Amino acid sequence: MLKLIKATFLGLIAMAFTASSYADITFVSWGGAYTASQQKAYVDTYISLNPDTKITVESYNGGLGEIKAQVEAGNVTWDVVDVLPDQAITGCDEGLFEKVDQSSFINDMVVAPVSDCVVPQIFWAYTAFYSKSAFPGKKPKNIKDFFNVEKFPGKRGIHTWGNALIEMALVADGVKAKNVYEVMNTPEGIDRAFAKLDTIKDHVVFWSAGSKPLELVSSGEVVMAIAYNGRIGAAILSEGKDFEYIWDATVLEQEYLVAIKGGKNTAEALDFMAHSSTAIANAEQAKYIPYGPMRKSSIAIIKKGEPWFIKYGGDIDVMPHMPTHPKVLKRAIIADPVWWADNGAEVNERYGVWKGN
Amino acid sequence: MNEATTGPILTTDGIPLKVSLQKSERKNKIRAFLLVVPLLFFILFTFLIPIGDMLLRSVDDSYINTVFPKTFEKYKKWDRQGLPSEELYETMFFEIKEGSGYSIGKATTRMNYAKSGWKSLLKKSKRKFKKIEEGPYKEQMIAFDKRWANMEYWKAIGVMVDPTTAGYYLNAIDLKYNADKEIIRQKENRRIYNKTWIKTFKVSFLVMFFCLILGYPISYLLATLPLKYSNLLMICVLLPFWTSLLVRTVAWMIMLQQKGVFNNLLVMSHIISNENRFALMYNQTATVIVMTQILLPFMVLPLYSVMKTISPNYMRAALNLGASPLHAFYKVYMPNSIPGVSAGCMLVFILAIGYYITPELVGGKDGQMIGNWIAYHLKTTLNWGLSAALGAILLGVLTVLYWVYNKLVGIENIKLG
Repeated sequence: MLKLIKATFLGLIAMAFTASSYADITFVSWGGAYTASQQKAYVDTYISLNPDTKITVESYNGGLGEIKAQVEAGNVTWDVVDVLPDQAITGCDEGLFEKVDQSSFINDMVVAPVSDCVVPQIFWAYTAFYSKSAFPGKKPKNIKDFFNVEKFPGKRGIHTWGNALIEMALVADGVKAKNVYEVMNTPEGIDRAFAKLDTIKDHVVFWSAGSKPLELVSSGEVVMAIAYNGRIGAAILSEGKDFEYIWDATVLEQEYLVAIKGGKNTAEALDFMAHSSTAIANAEQAKYIPYGPMRKSSIAIIKKGEPWFIKYGGDIDVMPHMPTHPKVLKRAIIADPVWWADNGAEVNERYGVWKGN
Repeated sequence: MNEATTGPILTTDGIPLKVSLQKSERKNKIRAFLLVVPLLFFILFTFLIPIGDMLLRSVDDSYINTVFPKTFEKYKKWDRQGLPSEELYETMFFEIKEGSGYSIGKATTRMNYAKSGWKSLLKKSKRKFKKIEEGPYKEQMIAFDKRWANMEYWKAIGVMVDPTTAGYYLNAIDLKYNADKEIIRQKENRRIYNKTWIKTFKVSFLVMFFCLILGYPISYLLATLPLKYSNLLMICVLLPFWTSLLVRTVAWMIMLQQKGVFNNLLVMSHIISNENRFALMYNQTATVIVMTQILLPFMVLPLYSVMKTISPNYMRAALNLGASPLHAFYKVYMPNSIPGVSAGCMLVFILAIGYYITPELVGGKDGQMIGNWIAYHLKTTLNWGLSAALGAILLGVLTVLYWVYNKLVGIENIKLG
């Protein structure tokens, strides 16, 4: 009996060693429907081309904290991470990320990539929305209506940090979308944004988890909310909710992949990133979640291929749900990661004071 | 008198008994020590070293001094009246131009804490300066970005020129250094931490208080009911304890929100009108309610294990001797249960004060605690110095509370069973 146990044990150890001779990439993203879409569009397709590679998918909550800790401790366990643009800038500047070859997509981007370390993923957006049943009569049309509690009484759901809200408040106060960052560069501009936020202060419910604004609007807890557009789209497309977007002062954020410096599978990680940033792969992701690809040619592929979104019982056009739809882009703001990298801490502390008062 | 009593006592093989005893004891001591070595290492590596590292980081500002040593040297001589001289501009120019990309990158993150905007200014400058071949540098720098002529940026360097700093601690209590290293108050619209500290202690105290109020009777029942019933009750206490924290938190959201179960019941039974629903979720009230429920088992378990050891005979004796039930409880039962109360309160308070995920989810408007800001600076702004200072203050406050508690009640009176 003892012999048997010993043999099994040794066998297991041997197996562990043989297994580890294959490349095992750890891919870290935000979880939920977003990661599920990446799994289908990137991970599964990569594995089918490279059956020897194993990709472990993990979730994290954003921020560079864990990555910096791993690099500083010299124990890097993550290979590829999905990051926000301001993190992409800081991480690349501080030498936490590998530089990548951007020649294949650099001329095919809606906006220029924020640093030398990134490959493109998608645009997602902070978007205001409401439930049609909450407004049987007149319906809110723009961000001014979102900030007008007299015309449209009821609570609003907004997030617990200041990003995008400053921009939206300024547009609601009459600033043109394209001039928002000019105004935000002056102290008076920020005061103006907070003054506008004051007008809805007593009618606000704060959320911090991405699924929450949808629940808040569904349950009637609030009449309108700001949410990630992909979540709203998924609720409409997959769950048949009667939500309606307010495509005004939509704040577009970029999303990139980076490779962590000092990872054990850097070559494979870079190969996986190259695979996950091709025009066709980026377009593929939009079959599962309505976020807008950052590559122009991906958008062309989707337009040609409509109905693109894969839905149980019949596919559906995805372009009307995209934050990069030309009609939306006209009235949208592309968030400036450089401004937020400079001023994020200060504005968010001020936002904390404002929120608690 | 014979020799044996005057000289040292010898063992049979002629060695003094004392030495022989010491020898055998030493063996035992080494063996005992070896047994605890793994624990010692564990504590050293998972507790003492990280805490030491945290304390170091909270005062360490040496990195930035290795990036701009010459600039900072010259800076100290600047009179802070009017813009610095060409010489200072030139020194900074070359340290930016010739510094390695990554070290400048890290420096920008640090400098941005002192003045928002340094980050993009340095990054832009690093790229641009490659193309500037000859002086005078001051004019060219200002022409390239007018922020180089902004006194605020130059003044902000003043807080970074020393390799150790109390600046992070000052920030953690809404103070800061000005350019001359005098301590001044933070701008009014950024004074967030003092308020958060007070809130953190208030919420933790309230949670501890409500846990005690709710936990004491339950524990009493658990300890005194016949085994058949008390087992069932124990399961009722432990089941939520074993349920995921997130599940419980989300369940509370559904219960307490304005269109939630609790408010709906009140409206349906006409206790409140539809317009006046209670705001019980996404504020401080929510944080207190949910944390109380989550931490209740940490109060009940120590209370129960202490109460279990209190013999029912004491109460019977007191009643027999003529005390009223209330008096007997107050004079006999309660003093005996104090060690459990102490243990429970300490446990709940200490756990509550560092709580993070529950306040994040249900805190909304004003229910966030200091832990949420520590996480924010750790993850988003990478201002680990400030995170460390906030953490160190938390540690310090707990140590002081522990000391006060020891003076008042005595640590030996804590009992977990």
